Parts: sequence; C-alpha cells; structure tokens
Amino acid sequence: MKSALEKLHAILRRDLLTAIRHRTGFAITALGLLTQLAAFYFLSRAIGPGFRPGGVEYFPFLLVGTGVYTFFVMTTQAFLSTVQEAQQTGTMEVLMTTSTPPAQLVVLSSISAFAGNLVSLGLYLAAGVALFRAPIHANALSCLAVLFLSLAIAMALGIAAATIQITFQKGSALLWLLSSGVWFLSGAMFPIESLPRPLALVAHAIPLTYSVEGMRMALLQGQSVLAMAPTLGALAGFSLALLPLTLWGLSLSLRRARQNGTLSFY
Amino acid sequence: MDRVVFESVRKVFRHRPALFNWLGRERGGETVALKDLSFSASAGEVLVLLGPNGSGKTTALKLISTMLLPDAGTVSVAGFDTLRDGGLVRQQVGIAVATERSFFPRLSARENLEFFAALDDVPRRERSQRIEEVLRDTALAGQADTLVMKFSSGMYQRLGIARALVKRPAVLLLDEPTRSLDAATTAHFWSTTRALAEQKTTILLATHNFAEAAAIGDRILLLQAGELLADRPIRGDESMEELRAFYFRMTGEVDEAAGMMQRTGRVS
Repeated sequence: MKSALEKLHAILRRDLLTAIRHRTGFAITALGLLTQLAAFYFLSRAIGPGFRPGGVEYFPFLLVGTGVYTFFVMTTQAFLSTVQEAQQTGTMEVLMTTSTPPAQLVVLSSISAFAGNLVSLGLYLAAGVALFRAPIHANALSCLAVLFLSLAIAMALGIAAATIQITFQKGSALLWLLSSGVWFLSGAMFPIESLPRPLALVAHAIPLTYSVEGMRMALLQGQSVLAMAPTLGALAGFSLALLPLTLWGLSLSLRRARQNGTLSFY
Repeated sequence: MDRVVFESVRKVFRHRPALFNWLGRERGGETVALKDLSFSASAGEVLVLLGPNGSGKTTALKLISTMLLPDAGTVSVAGFDTLRDGGLVRQQVGIAVATERSFFPRLSARENLEFFAALDDVPRRERSQRIEEVLRDTALAGQADTLVMKFSSGMYQRLGIARALVKRPAVLLLDEPTRSLDAATTAHFWSTTRALAEQKTTILLATHNFAEAAAIGDRILLLQAGELLADRPIRGDESMEELRAFYFRMTGEVDEAAGMMQRTGRVS
C-alpha cells in the first residue's frame, strides 16, 4: 500500500510538473473552456426561459451535461495521449521493464489523469455559477456517489482506449466515437426523451448517459442517494462490468505486444 | 549458479499486411530473430554480445528484460522464467536501451530518475543518495537539474545508463552504451562497469566496439543472423585487433577498414 502511494505520488508529480511547464497549453485550454461556457450561456438565452428540460433551466442543464461529457472525453484523451506519447518516445518499453506491474501502472496513471480533469470540471462548473449565475442545489453525498462511479467508468473507457492503441495503434477511434457519436446520445446537450425511440434505447445502453443524468439530479435538483437509486444502480452495474473486463483486455494486449515486439509501435 | 540462462530460445517477428491493403503490394512474412539460442551468464560476469546488424543482440537483451517474450525455449533470470514470473524478473534487471529518447522531456534529469526509481521500488530513504551516485558515475551531476529536452544524444545516453543503475540490478543490460559518448566519459563508464562486475552484477553488453569488448568483457558471444557463432572467454591480454580479426574470420565479412589502413600506411 505504502509503495503504491509512493508510486502514485511520483506519477502525480511528473504530470503536475509537465503541466506547469506547458503553460501555453494550460492557458489555451482554460480560454477554450471559458469560450464554451459563454457560447452555451448565449445559446440558452436565445432559446428562451420556456425550455426547461427535466424541470431545470437550460443553461445549468447544459453546464452540467457538457461538463460531465467533457470530463469523460478529456480523461480518455489524457489516457490515450499518455500511451501514445510513451510509445513515440520509447518510455513505454522502459516503463514495462520497471518493477511496477503494468495494471498498477495504468491505474495509477489514470488517477493522475482524473485529478487534472476533475480540477478542470470543478473550475468549469464554478465558472458557470460565478460568471453566468447558474443555479445549483447540490446534494453533496449524491454528487460524490455519482462522481465515484463515473470515475470507475471513465477509467474503464481510458483503459479501453489504451488497449485499442496498444493492439491496433488506433486508440483515437474510441475517442472519435466518443466525440462524434456518443455526445448526442448521452443527453449532454438535450434530453434523450427527444430522440426517436430506437436511438433513445441505444442512449440507455451508454454509461455516459447515466453519469450526465445522475450529476444533474445530484447537482441541480439536490436529489438524495435513495431517490437516485436506479441511476446509481445502473452506474454501479456498468462499473462492475467494464472495469474488470477492460483491465483483463489490457493485460492481454500487453502480453500480445511483448510477444509480437509491438510495445512501441504507434 | 548461472544468473541468466537461455535454453533453445527462438524469436520470430511476424509482419502483418495493413488491414486495408488495397493494392496488394504489402506482403505478410516473418523474420527469425533468434534460432534456438542457448547460453548462460554467471554472477559478476561481463558477457559481450558481438555481431553484425540484425544478428539478434538487441532481441536477446529485450528477451531478458521481458520487453519481448520468447516464441519457443526459455529465458530465465535468477531462476525466474520470463514467461511465468515476469514481475520477479523485472525486479532483477536494469536495461539501458540504444534509442535513448525514452524520458519525460519536461522533467529534469534528477526528476526523471526520481520517477523511475519510485516505480522500481528503490526505498525512499535511499533514493536521493543513489541518484546522486549514478549522476556522478555518468558525469551528469552538473546537468542534474536541466530539463532533458535540452540534452544532447550523449547526455541522453548517459541518463539511460543512470536510470538502469539506480535500481542496483542483479543483471545489467547495456545496448551500445557508449555509442554517443566522448572518450573521457567512455573510459569512466568502462571502469564503472568493471566495478559493478566486481560487486557481482551480471552484465550483458551489446556492442560493435572491439576496444570496449576487450577493455571490459570476460566472454564473447558472437551472433550472426540469430545463430550463435562463438561463445568463448576473452583472454586478459587479448587486444582489440585480435578480437576484430576473430570477428571477421568467424562472420566471414570483409574488413574494409583494415585494408584501408594498410593502404594508407597507418598499420603494418
């Protein structure tokens, strides 16, 4: 346990130092998020106060939906970039010869990716509340429950992207799927009830939908854990199924890459 | 007891054509990198792997480090099989690879070493002291706090060696470790390597440098096209010219450099 914490500290330190020394990238990301917030604010004003999906104002609906969605995409991207960068620079092979088991290394790296993107999500929501006066009625316990289960799913998505990258050198395919296909099915921008029935059924099979919905219920409507039991149950089910499955897939892909000599292929 | 053992090891790289190979020009196929290779290395021995490009030297080192797994035969380190006990093997092995860009560019040399030392379970209380030691041994103490993105090839190479040394491995794998190093650093590296061997570290060194082989090697393993051509000790008084002559005689390659030097009168 002590050793795992020390390794986590080393990984967090590496990523923090790299982020700090990438000041331009950090500033551009912050500016991009602010621009996005402003665009959503004016979009919700243009649509007017009559549109209240799920009984909440449209701007906070967008704020939470896009915040959670962006968190998922950015986390998967961060995960994927870490693997791609490691393959391109050759650190991948060296990391795989350290005493740290590969699965542990991946999970610890994912915690680091989450930490940065959680801060971004927090700042995004805080900026939405502070600058554009989005009304929040949060239930802290429910928020934590949704966040915890969403983290497990985001980790599984990141691991899946890393596995696809290691096996086929095309991890960006999952990212593309997330950013092109999943966004409109997840209910990030509008309620999934407005979709045709077949698409609404597909939307209910996507874990991201429950994360977006759960966070809205917890953050905007202040619903209790008990009231949110079906949503939390779905999130728990997805976490329990996806996390072991993707970890198994990753260890299989790493073994195959060691066998084929493709650890550093990109 | 032998610390590194290869038993009838075979390694084949298969090439798959691209998924959408519309023009059909790309063919699948395979390259046999090692053909039933068997050898062993004991504690405190410096085993030099010599051979032309593509002879399987790097593949052999990667098999020991578990970067690669064998297709047939067994590779074991300190009694642990690389296929079954990869984690235990990795605790014993340090590797400095030839392509040395494998660092985090926006971290300093010291920060990179701290990172890898943590992943290699170097005890926290010993970490700083060990890092200072390896930075000194690789003549990088003056650049310890420079971001590695500003490093030259030689400095990258030295940092790669430092990283391999910081975990104090029982088996040290060095792939052309002095390729980009200046003469003084090379000489210092040779004496460090010999000192490590005195402390019972097993060292496998892949090189094309006969002077290096003669200076620090105890035994030669000569490979060609994945096969073992020779496995013999290096005599204490054996010169690099003798090693060179042995190499060309065994591989059947033409030593054009020797001919040129004779023509220009630089050797008799």
